[in-house]
Amino acid sequence: MAKELPGYGTIDVPKDRVVPFGAVTPAPVCQQDLFQTSNWRIVRPVKDDEKCTRCLICYLSCPDACWVYKEEEDVMEWVNNFCKGCQICIQECPSGALTAVPELDFPDGVARLDKPF
Amino acid sequence: MAKVHEITVWARGVIMDKEGRDVINIFAQAAQMEGKFAQAFDNYEDLPDRVLVTVRKYVRLSDEEIEHKYVYTNDKPEVVVITEATIVKGIDILRGMEKGGTLIINTNRSIDDMLKLIPNANLLGTVATVDADAITGVRTVDFSGSEGGVDTSGIGKGIASPMTGAIAKVTGMIKKENLAKIVSDVSGMERGYNEVKIKKLG
Ligand code: SF4
Ligand code: SF4
Repeated sequence: MAKELPGYGTIDVPKDRVVPFGAVTPAPVCQQDLFQTSNWRIVRPVKDDEKCTRCLICYLSCPDACWVYKEEEDVMEWVNNFCKGCQICIQECPSGALTAVPELDFPDGVARLDKPF
Repeated sequence: MAKVHEITVWARGVIMDKEGRDVINIFAQAAQMEGKFAQAFDNYEDLPDRVLVTVRKYVRLSDEEIEHKYVYTNDKPEVVVITEATIVKGIDILRGMEKGGTLIINTNRSIDDMLKLIPNANLLGTVATVDADAITGVRTVDFSGSEGGVDTSGIGKGIASPMTGAIAKVTGMIKKENLAKIVSDVSGMERGYNEVKIKKLG
Protein backbone atom coordinates (compact mmCIF):
# COMPACT_ATOMS: atom_id res chain seq x y z
CA MET A 1 0.00 0.00 0.00
CA ALA A 2 1.65 3.22 -1.15
CA LYS A 3 1.22 6.15 1.21
CA GLU A 4 2.07 9.80 0.59
CA LEU A 5 3.72 11.28 3.64
CA PRO A 6 4.24 15.05 3.50
CA GLY A 7 7.95 15.74 3.26
CA TYR A 8 8.77 12.06 3.34
CA GLY A 9 7.75 10.98 -0.16
CA THR A 10 6.04 7.62 -0.59
CA ILE A 11 6.48 4.52 1.51
CA ASP A 12 5.33 1.08 0.48
CA VAL A 13 3.62 -0.98 3.17
CA PRO A 14 2.59 -4.47 2.01
CA LYS A 15 -1.05 -5.17 2.89
CA ASP A 16 -0.19 -8.01 5.26
CA ARG A 17 2.16 -5.74 7.20
CA VAL A 18 -0.37 -2.96 7.87
CA VAL A 19 -0.99 -2.81 11.61
CA PRO A 20 -3.85 -1.24 13.61
CA PHE A 21 -3.54 1.71 15.95
CA GLY A 22 -1.68 0.85 19.11
CA ALA A 23 1.15 -0.91 17.36
CA VAL A 24 2.71 1.46 14.84
CA THR A 25 0.99 4.46 13.28
CA PRO A 26 2.21 5.89 9.99
CA ALA A 27 3.40 9.24 11.32
CA PRO A 28 4.04 12.02 10.59
CA VAL A 29 0.83 12.81 8.75
CA CYS A 30 -1.43 15.87 8.91
CA GLN A 31 -4.50 13.96 10.07
CA GLN A 32 -4.22 10.49 11.53
CA ASP A 33 -7.41 8.79 10.39
CA LEU A 34 -6.63 5.71 12.47
CA PHE A 35 -7.12 7.78 15.59
CA GLN A 36 -10.22 9.91 15.23
CA THR A 37 -11.50 11.27 18.51
CA SER A 38 -14.82 12.84 17.52
CA ASN A 39 -16.75 10.07 19.25
CA TRP A 40 -15.35 11.19 22.60
CA ARG A 41 -17.57 14.27 22.45
CA ILE A 42 -20.65 14.86 24.60
CA VAL A 43 -20.81 18.51 23.51
CA ARG A 44 -19.25 20.35 20.59
CA PRO A 45 -18.04 23.96 20.38
CA VAL A 46 -20.26 26.07 18.15
CA LYS A 47 -18.88 29.40 16.92
CA ASP A 48 -20.68 32.70 16.47
CA ASP A 49 -18.87 34.44 13.60
CA GLU A 50 -20.33 37.82 14.63
CA LYS A 51 -18.61 37.64 18.00
CA CYS A 52 -15.39 35.96 16.81
CA THR A 53 -12.51 38.44 16.46
CA ARG A 54 -10.13 35.93 14.80
CA CYS A 55 -7.75 36.32 17.74
CA LEU A 56 -6.55 32.70 17.26
CA ILE A 57 -6.64 31.90 20.98
CA CYS A 58 -8.74 28.81 20.26
CA TYR A 59 -6.09 27.72 17.76
CA LEU A 60 -3.41 28.10 20.42
CA SER A 61 -5.36 26.44 23.23
CA CYS A 62 -6.86 23.43 21.46
CA PRO A 63 -4.79 20.37 22.42
CA ASP A 64 -5.69 18.70 19.13
CA ALA A 65 -5.23 21.62 16.73
CA CYS A 66 -8.91 21.57 15.81
CA TRP A 67 -9.23 25.28 15.06
CA VAL A 68 -7.64 26.40 11.81
CA TYR A 69 -7.58 29.95 10.46
CA LYS A 70 -8.74 30.05 6.84
CA GLU A 71 -7.01 33.10 5.46
CA GLU A 72 -8.94 33.41 2.19
CA GLU A 73 -12.35 33.44 3.86
CA ASP A 74 -11.13 35.06 7.09
CA VAL A 75 -12.87 32.50 9.32
CA MET A 76 -11.89 30.00 11.95
CA GLU A 77 -12.61 26.46 10.77
CA TRP A 78 -13.41 23.64 13.17
CA VAL A 79 -11.97 20.16 12.50
CA ASN A 80 -14.86 17.89 13.36
CA ASN A 81 -13.25 14.46 13.27
CA PHE A 82 -10.55 15.23 15.80
CA CYS A 83 -12.36 17.53 18.25
CA LYS A 84 -12.89 15.50 21.42
CA GLY A 85 -15.20 18.00 23.10
CA CYS A 86 -12.85 18.95 25.94
CA GLN A 87 -14.27 22.51 25.94
CA ILE A 88 -10.89 24.17 26.56
CA CYS A 89 -11.43 26.48 23.56
CA ILE A 90 -14.82 27.51 24.97
CA GLN A 91 -13.22 28.40 28.30
CA GLU A 92 -10.37 30.30 26.68
CA CYS A 93 -12.21 32.29 23.98
CA PRO A 94 -12.01 35.92 25.18
CA SER A 95 -15.01 37.07 23.12
CA GLY A 96 -17.57 34.50 24.20
CA ALA A 97 -17.86 33.39 20.59
CA LEU A 98 -17.89 29.68 21.42
CA THR A 99 -20.67 27.78 23.16
CA ALA A 100 -21.08 24.11 24.11
CA VAL A 101 -23.98 22.45 22.31
CA PRO A 102 -24.97 18.81 23.00
CA GLU A 103 -23.68 16.55 20.25
CA LEU A 104 -27.06 14.77 20.10
CA ASP A 105 -28.66 17.98 18.77
CA PHE A 106 -26.83 17.34 15.50
CA PRO A 107 -27.91 14.44 13.30
CA ASP A 108 -24.40 13.91 11.94
CA GLY A 109 -20.84 15.06 12.41
CA VAL A 110 -19.28 12.25 14.40
CA ALA A 111 -17.14 9.58 12.81
CA ARG A 112 -19.00 6.36 13.49
CA LEU A 113 -16.44 3.73 14.35
CA ASP A 114 -16.90 -0.03 14.46
CA LYS A 115 -14.58 -0.42 17.41
CA PRO A 116 -13.47 2.07 20.06
CA PHE A 117 -10.22 2.39 18.07
CA MET B 1 -22.61 -25.98 28.71
CA ALA B 2 -25.63 -23.90 29.57
CA LYS B 3 -26.23 -20.69 27.68
CA VAL B 4 -24.12 -17.75 28.75
CA HIS B 5 -25.96 -14.43 28.64
CA GLU B 6 -23.76 -11.50 27.71
CA ILE B 7 -24.42 -7.94 28.88
CA THR B 8 -22.19 -5.08 27.75
CA VAL B 9 -22.19 -1.68 29.47
CA TRP B 10 -20.73 1.36 27.69
CA ALA B 11 -19.44 4.34 29.68
CA ARG B 12 -16.94 7.16 29.25
CA GLY B 13 -13.38 6.98 30.53
CA VAL B 14 -12.56 8.57 33.91
CA ILE B 15 -15.68 10.71 34.34
CA MET B 16 -18.04 7.72 34.30
CA ASP B 17 -15.69 4.84 34.91
CA LYS B 18 -17.03 4.20 38.40
CA GLU B 19 -20.64 4.31 37.25
CA GLY B 20 -20.02 1.80 34.48
CA ARG B 21 -18.10 -0.50 36.79
CA ASP B 22 -20.77 -0.25 39.48
CA VAL B 23 -23.48 -1.26 37.00
CA ILE B 24 -21.69 -4.51 36.13
CA ASN B 25 -20.73 -5.32 39.71
CA ILE B 26 -24.25 -4.69 41.04
CA PHE B 27 -25.76 -6.68 38.17
CA ALA B 28 -23.43 -9.64 38.70
CA GLN B 29 -23.89 -9.59 42.49
CA ALA B 30 -27.69 -9.47 42.22
CA ALA B 31 -27.63 -12.40 39.79
CA GLN B 32 -25.44 -14.40 42.14
CA MET B 33 -27.99 -13.83 44.92
CA GLU B 34 -30.46 -15.74 42.77
CA GLY B 35 -28.03 -18.62 42.49
CA LYS B 36 -26.80 -17.76 39.02
CA PHE B 37 -23.17 -17.90 38.00
CA ALA B 38 -21.82 -14.50 37.03
CA GLN B 39 -18.66 -12.84 35.83
CA ALA B 40 -17.99 -9.08 35.69
CA PHE B 41 -15.00 -7.56 33.91
CA ASP B 42 -13.95 -4.03 33.13
CA ASN B 43 -10.94 -2.14 31.81
CA TYR B 44 -10.06 -4.46 28.96
CA GLU B 45 -9.23 -3.41 25.40
CA ASP B 46 -10.31 0.20 25.96
CA LEU B 47 -8.53 3.22 27.44
CA PRO B 48 -10.30 3.82 30.78
CA ASP B 49 -7.75 6.37 31.96
CA ARG B 50 -8.50 8.84 29.17
CA VAL B 51 -11.26 11.35 29.81
CA LEU B 52 -14.43 10.84 27.71
CA VAL B 53 -13.15 7.82 25.79
CA THR B 54 -15.77 5.12 25.24
CA VAL B 55 -15.13 2.17 27.54
CA ARG B 56 -16.89 -1.16 27.89
CA LYS B 57 -17.72 -3.22 30.95
CA TYR B 58 -18.91 -6.78 30.68
CA VAL B 59 -21.23 -9.13 32.60
CA ARG B 60 -21.91 -12.77 31.86
CA LEU B 61 -24.65 -14.84 33.48
CA SER B 62 -25.33 -18.54 33.32
CA ASP B 63 -27.18 -21.26 35.20
CA GLU B 64 -24.03 -23.35 35.23
CA GLU B 65 -20.45 -22.51 35.98
CA ILE B 66 -18.96 -20.32 33.23
CA GLU B 67 -15.85 -22.06 32.09
CA HIS B 68 -14.21 -19.59 29.73
CA LYS B 69 -12.42 -17.29 32.12
CA TYR B 70 -9.76 -15.92 29.86
CA VAL B 71 -11.71 -14.04 27.25
CA TYR B 72 -12.92 -10.78 28.69
CA THR B 73 -14.92 -9.23 25.88
CA ASN B 74 -18.52 -10.04 24.98
CA ASP B 75 -18.74 -10.95 21.30
CA LYS B 76 -22.52 -11.38 21.16
CA PRO B 77 -24.16 -9.06 23.69
CA GLU B 78 -27.85 -9.74 24.33
CA VAL B 79 -28.26 -6.59 26.38
CA VAL B 80 -26.38 -3.35 25.76
CA VAL B 81 -26.50 -0.59 28.38
CA ILE B 82 -25.45 2.96 27.48
CA THR B 83 -24.66 5.15 30.49
CA GLU B 84 -24.06 8.28 28.37
CA ALA B 85 -26.39 8.75 25.41
CA THR B 86 -23.97 10.40 22.95
CA ILE B 87 -22.07 7.10 22.74
CA VAL B 88 -24.78 5.71 20.38
CA LYS B 89 -23.69 8.25 17.79
CA GLY B 90 -20.01 7.51 17.64
CA ILE B 91 -19.75 3.77 17.80
CA ASP B 92 -21.44 0.59 16.62
CA ILE B 93 -22.81 -0.28 20.05
CA LEU B 94 -24.85 -3.21 18.68
CA ARG B 95 -21.86 -4.93 17.07
CA GLY B 96 -22.22 -8.70 17.45
CA MET B 97 -25.81 -8.54 18.71
CA GLU B 98 -28.20 -11.15 17.38
CA LYS B 99 -31.67 -10.12 16.26
CA GLY B 100 -34.05 -9.39 19.12
CA GLY B 101 -31.54 -7.85 21.55
CA THR B 102 -32.16 -5.20 24.19
CA LEU B 103 -30.79 -1.67 24.42
CA ILE B 104 -31.08 0.51 27.54
CA ILE B 105 -29.97 4.16 27.35
CA ASN B 106 -29.52 6.80 30.03
CA THR B 107 -31.14 9.83 28.38
CA ASN B 108 -33.97 12.32 28.65
CA ARG B 109 -34.52 12.21 24.89
CA SER B 110 -37.30 10.16 23.32
CA ILE B 111 -36.80 6.56 22.27
CA ASP B 112 -37.61 7.45 18.64
CA ASP B 113 -35.02 10.23 18.60
CA MET B 114 -32.39 7.81 19.85
CA LEU B 115 -33.36 5.13 17.32
CA LYS B 116 -32.74 7.60 14.49
CA LEU B 117 -29.08 7.68 15.50
CA ILE B 118 -28.65 3.89 15.35
CA PRO B 119 -28.33 2.64 11.75
CA ASN B 120 -28.58 -1.05 12.71
CA ALA B 121 -31.55 -0.61 15.09
CA ASN B 122 -33.36 -3.41 13.22
CA LEU B 123 -31.38 -5.83 15.42
CA LEU B 124 -33.28 -4.65 18.46
CA GLY B 125 -36.31 -6.32 20.03
CA THR B 126 -36.58 -3.92 22.96
CA VAL B 127 -35.37 -0.37 23.54
CA ALA B 128 -35.65 1.45 26.86
CA THR B 129 -34.64 4.86 28.15
CA VAL B 130 -34.25 6.07 31.70
CA ASP B 131 -33.25 9.58 32.74
CA ALA B 132 -30.76 8.46 35.37
CA ASP B 133 -28.99 11.84 35.40
CA ALA B 134 -32.21 13.58 36.42
CA ILE B 135 -32.92 10.98 39.10
CA THR B 136 -29.56 11.40 40.81
CA GLY B 137 -29.03 15.11 40.06
CA VAL B 138 -25.65 16.52 39.12
CA ARG B 139 -23.16 13.79 38.36
CA THR B 140 -20.23 13.54 40.74
CA VAL B 141 -16.91 12.61 39.24
CA ASP B 142 -15.55 10.05 41.66
CA PHE B 143 -12.39 8.00 41.40
CA SER B 144 -13.24 5.72 44.32
CA GLY B 145 -12.60 2.11 43.58
CA SER B 146 -10.50 2.85 40.50
CA GLU B 147 -7.60 0.55 39.69
CA GLY B 148 -8.18 -1.59 42.77
CA GLY B 149 -8.47 1.36 45.19
CA VAL B 150 -10.96 1.34 48.08
CA ASP B 151 -14.44 2.48 47.06
CA THR B 152 -15.39 4.97 49.78
CA SER B 153 -18.43 6.43 48.04
CA GLY B 154 -20.44 3.21 48.13
CA ILE B 155 -21.47 0.93 45.29
CA GLY B 156 -24.18 2.44 43.16
CA LYS B 157 -23.61 6.04 44.20
CA GLY B 158 -24.54 8.12 41.17
CA ILE B 159 -26.33 6.92 38.06
CA ALA B 160 -25.52 3.22 38.56
CA SER B 161 -28.45 2.75 40.99
CA PRO B 162 -31.22 4.00 38.66
CA MET B 163 -29.53 2.26 35.72
CA THR B 164 -29.57 -1.13 37.47
CA GLY B 165 -33.19 -0.56 38.54
CA ALA B 166 -34.07 0.04 34.89
CA ILE B 167 -32.11 -3.05 33.80
CA ALA B 168 -34.01 -5.20 36.32
CA LYS B 169 -37.37 -4.00 34.98
CA VAL B 170 -36.48 -4.30 31.28
CA THR B 171 -34.57 -7.59 31.24
CA GLY B 172 -36.03 -9.45 34.22
CA MET B 173 -32.56 -11.00 34.62
CA ILE B 174 -32.17 -9.63 38.15
CA LYS B 175 -34.63 -8.87 40.96
CA LYS B 176 -35.34 -5.46 42.44
CA GLU B 177 -35.38 -6.91 45.97
CA ASN B 178 -31.80 -8.14 45.59
CA LEU B 179 -30.66 -4.83 44.15
CA ALA B 180 -32.04 -3.07 47.21
CA LYS B 181 -29.65 -5.10 49.39
CA ILE B 182 -26.63 -4.04 47.32
CA VAL B 183 -26.94 -0.42 46.16
CA SER B 184 -26.24 2.57 48.37
CA ASP B 185 -29.02 4.63 46.74
CA VAL B 186 -32.13 2.46 47.10
CA SER B 187 -34.63 5.20 46.27
CA GLY B 188 -32.70 6.07 43.09
CA MET B 189 -32.76 2.40 42.11
CA GLU B 190 -36.54 2.22 42.72
CA ARG B 191 -37.10 5.36 40.64
CA GLY B 192 -35.06 3.89 37.79
CA TYR B 193 -37.20 0.75 38.02
CA ASN B 194 -40.46 2.70 37.97
CA GLU B 195 -39.56 5.47 35.53
CA VAL B 196 -37.90 3.50 32.73
CA LYS B 197 -39.71 3.84 29.38
CA ILE B 198 -39.85 0.66 27.32
CA LYS B 199 -40.65 0.16 23.65
CA LYS B 200 -40.98 -3.22 21.96
CA LEU B 201 -39.91 -3.30 18.34
CA GLY B 202 -41.27 -5.61 15.66
S1 SF4 C 1 -10.78 32.29 20.57
FE1 SF4 C 1 -12.89 32.93 20.14
S2 SF4 C 1 -12.69 34.99 19.26
FE2 SF4 C 1 -10.65 34.08 19.18
S3 SF4 C 1 -10.55 33.17 17.13
FE3 SF4 C 1 -11.27 31.57 18.50
S4 SF4 C 1 -13.52 31.67 18.40
FE4 SF4 C 1 -12.72 33.57 17.54
S1 SF4 D 1 -13.49 21.25 22.45
FE1 SF4 D 1 -11.32 20.76 22.88
S2 SF4 D 1 -10.71 19.46 21.16
FE2 SF4 D 1 -12.59 20.48 20.52
S3 SF4 D 1 -11.92 22.29 19.42
FE3 SF4 D 1 -12.24 22.91 21.57
S4 SF4 D 1 -10.24 22.71 22.57
FE4 SF4 D 1 -10.17 21.58 20.61
